[in-house]
Amino acid sequence: MLARRYVYVFIGLVILLVFVAFFGVPLLWLLLAPTKTDSQLAHESPFAFGSLTTFANTFHKVINYQGQLMLTWLKNSAIYSFGGTALALLAAIPAGYGLALTQFIGRRALLAITLVVMILPSTALVLPLFLEASEVHLVGSVWSVILPFAFFPFGVYLAYIYFSSTIPKDLLAAARIDGAGEWGVFRYVALPLARPIVGLVAFFAFVADWTNYYLPFVMTYTNTEYPVSIGLQILIGSAPIFSPGTPGSAASEIFRPDLAMATLIAILPIVIIFLFAQRTLVKGMLAGATKG
Amino acid sequence: MPGTTAVPPVRYPPVEGLRVEGRRRDRPPAGSSPVAGYLFVAFYVALLLCIGVAPAVYAIALALSTPGGVGFGHFVQTFNFFEFAPAFEHVFEFEGIWLASQTFFVVLLALLVHTLKRRVSSAFRFIFYLPGAMAGSASAIVWLFMFTPNTSPWAFILHGLGYQVLPNTVSPGNLPMIFAIMAFFTGAGGWIVIMYGALNNIPDELIEAAQIDGSSPLQTALRIKLPLIRKWVVYMLVLSFAAGSQLFVEPQILAVATNGEVPPQWSPNQLAYYLAFQQDNFNNAAAVSVDLLVIGLLVAVLLVWRGKLFSVD
Amino acid sequence: MATVTYKDASRIYPRANSKAVNQLTLEIRDGEFIVLVGPSGCGKTTSLRMLAGLEPVDEGDIFIDDRSVVRLAPRERDIAMVFQNYALYPHMNVAQNLGFALKIAKLKKSEIKTRVAEAAKILDLEEYLDRKPGQLSGGQRQRVAMGRAIVRQPRVFLMDEPLSNLDAKLRVATRSEIAALQRRLGVTTVYVTHDQVEAMTMGDRVAVMKDGVLQQVDVPSVLYDSPVNAFVAGFIGSPAMNLIEGTIGPDGITIGSTVVPVPRGLQQAAGTGKVTVGLRPESVELTGTTAGIPAVVNLVEELGAEAYVYARLAHTVDDTRFAATPDFIVRVNPKSAPKSGSAIELHVKPDSMLLFDAESGARITGA
Ligand SMILES: Nc1ncnc2c1ncn2[C@@H]1O[C@H](COP(=O)(O)OP(=O)(O)OP(=O)(O)O)[C@@H](O)[C@H]1O
Ligand SMILES: [Mg+2]
Repeated sequence: MLARRYVYVFIGLVILLVFVAFFGVPLLWLLLAPTKTDSQLAHESPFAFGSLTTFANTFHKVINYQGQLMLTWLKNSAIYSFGGTALALLAAIPAGYGLALTQFIGRRALLAITLVVMILPSTALVLPLFLEASEVHLVGSVWSVILPFAFFPFGVYLAYIYFSSTIPKDLLAAARIDGAGEWGVFRYVALPLARPIVGLVAFFAFVADWTNYYLPFVMTYTNTEYPVSIGLQILIGSAPIFSPGTPGSAASEIFRPDLAMATLIAILPIVIIFLFAQRTLVKGMLAGATKG
Repeated sequence: MPGTTAVPPVRYPPVEGLRVEGRRRDRPPAGSSPVAGYLFVAFYVALLLCIGVAPAVYAIALALSTPGGVGFGHFVQTFNFFEFAPAFEHVFEFEGIWLASQTFFVVLLALLVHTLKRRVSSAFRFIFYLPGAMAGSASAIVWLFMFTPNTSPWAFILHGLGYQVLPNTVSPGNLPMIFAIMAFFTGAGGWIVIMYGALNNIPDELIEAAQIDGSSPLQTALRIKLPLIRKWVVYMLVLSFAAGSQLFVEPQILAVATNGEVPPQWSPNQLAYYLAFQQDNFNNAAAVSVDLLVIGLLVAVLLVWRGKLFSVD
Repeated sequence: MATVTYKDASRIYPRANSKAVNQLTLEIRDGEFIVLVGPSGCGKTTSLRMLAGLEPVDEGDIFIDDRSVVRLAPRERDIAMVFQNYALYPHMNVAQNLGFALKIAKLKKSEIKTRVAEAAKILDLEEYLDRKPGQLSGGQRQRVAMGRAIVRQPRVFLMDEPLSNLDAKLRVATRSEIAALQRRLGVTTVYVTHDQVEAMTMGDRVAVMKDGVLQQVDVPSVLYDSPVNAFVAGFIGSPAMNLIEGTIGPDGITIGSTVVPVPRGLQQAAGTGKVTVGLRPESVELTGTTAGIPAVVNLVEELGAEAYVYARLAHTVDDTRFAATPDFIVRVNPKSAPKSGSAIELHVKPDSMLLFDAESGARITGA
């Protein structure tokens, strides 16, 4: 009886460790690769540590690649993501409040539509959006990326659930009796209580925007417009190891450690957010699993 | 991960010191004026119309407008492309592998993690979740290296399978599996966190009652915990299916990295892109987009309509 | 069926600085209905969970029959438990809930069916067998929880405040049903409650705990008449026993400014100095032959068949010398209850007076 128990525990542990390796090893590898030169990478053990000097060199090379292209991409990503997130908040928080705590004709229908578009993968709308944007000559403008990012139905639903489950309607009634107008009720009663949900919506919006690939891929055309998610693909395309025959001198050639470094730089903001937002995030996700 | 970081609806505990009376929401307060409601949702509705509805309508219109008037000509034409059927086959094969393995492993890992002490489990959950940061092109690049025998930490497995160079690994037959691994890598962690949360919401008393009823940890997991998180599993399946049908980034990056070894029309979304940008045929591109949109919409409507997961009041 | 023995059993929660259960020693006889009672946080639940195997035993030992169970998993102990919130499996209907343990034990389908039917009959649940717990009332859920325990035919029943989620009336009715059922089945039962009335009416014996320490365990009448210390005296009985500071002198005990005679033996045992006097509300009368303790009526609580007078010690209405002493509670016949504000005299029935050490609270008994 007891022995069997230990066998189960052992098997469970082995499974867990296998998956820790599955999820962890690529990250570890990514961290180690830029410490090595391309030939070290190809010949030494994948887990060998090169040197910090190489790491620094790789970093500088990636940053300075073609006139600091990487920085331009990062800046673009930041513009798109911050802009999109800010607008998404501006739309989602009041909308969630309106759906939860005010009454108007079409409220339930709007809610149902919100749910449908929330489940509908955003990718499905990208090409239609492009077709529309090219019709109104918005392609190539920052707005062609930011405005679609601003449309974040998941955030609306999060805010809706938050407002409807945490704010008692009597509280709003009390504020109205105290003489607050509709805007005052929202501004001075609901909004101060909504801080956790603002953080959560911002988190999900930002991560989705930063990692988005397809939309900017379709909407932007030049290196000066690309976000870093596409920049990575550009780098692959100019790495001779993957694309032999690509023109380019040795100095400007992208090698594998450079690619790893670029990837590392590209994901760094999200990793940092994950680290700091872990608590809130897990809490938000946990809350997600209550009842339902 | 294809598509977005999907997270289920959230229900919060009430703000401290405040109580929500009665059933969650019976009726919005009578005191509010209807005009205010419209103003609060106005910006969102504007976005919904411009970004959600208008492109869909426009795509449908484009797809339906043929030289000879309104018709299904573009649908028929794209349907007959030799890339069309394979693209959908590819994606469905990918979905089959991905959904089956994701469902199994996410549930298994969530159950396992849930048996650990809270602090230990949080470390595991974080490691599982972290690759979510690499959603999109980053994970495709990293896995490109993982699948390249001479740089891969998994080289021993790849060699064992007889692969010596990247093109061996990314042979056409392997692609669905490869994309499934990539999607699992970035997406599973989030779902594990969610399932873990769902498991945590099972009252301790219930698990203790099962223990006292003579149930072993394994039996408790299978007979009590699993049935109680079933709807989340369904939710995960449906959402993942919808997202998976839109697969784009991963095959796109692989197409670039393998110099065409992976065809640039591997998935339907790539095909639509190809039609729009390589062939400059917006009508045909719209037709394929509409096909994809319809799949996504069907799934979404079904889930909202039939599933009891969402509170729409 | 079985006996249960706690032997110096202690539980120290991680990072706690005191023992939640402190060296509990308790022998429970075969077929006995024992109630653990005490104020909130005194360790009742912990004691029960240690027996169930849901909490480890950090020191000491626990036996079911003659076998130590501390190393056994809950499922190996052959016990059944009724939880405070019932812990019914929400995804199973009533029949499946009742039969779950039997299914786990791999009983034959037919056997499970008869046993479930039997339990359902006893508990009047036959109509609800197909329903999910969510579709039952609180009282019905409670019965399902009971049923889940009895189909098992376990060696010991454990119940942790199983009635606390019922409304007052249903609670009283269910109380007697559970007690009757237990007597009929004859299964050794450990029952936890914080309600001393529940404890006194249900238990064969009642164990009173405080701060993790068992104070006294005995049949209800002994607890009532002969508590071992001031805590038990004050905890058992409703309204509570009057516990008042007094000073023992050669002529008796001074309560307020009145000297009340004390039985000889008790007086000797108490010596001289401060003590705590314990008087039940029914141990005091308003009329007597000698001079009584003067008091003023603050409030009269009429309960129909009886009435309780809450009086403060005072010689006149304006007398505030004893304002710090709690109200004295006296049971009277409602027909002859005094009016509030009126002056009365309290006459102690000498034989019913209890004395406790002023410091330790331990009972002082006469020779
Ligand atoms: N999981 C725990 N971790 C730490 N301390 C605990 C834990 N559970 C209980 N305690 C502490 O142990 C003591 C005894 O708790 P227990 O739950 O046994 O009390 P109880 O008598 O059942 O009280 P109640 O009538 O309120 O249910 C309390 O002081 C409590 O704070
Ligand atoms: Mg308790």
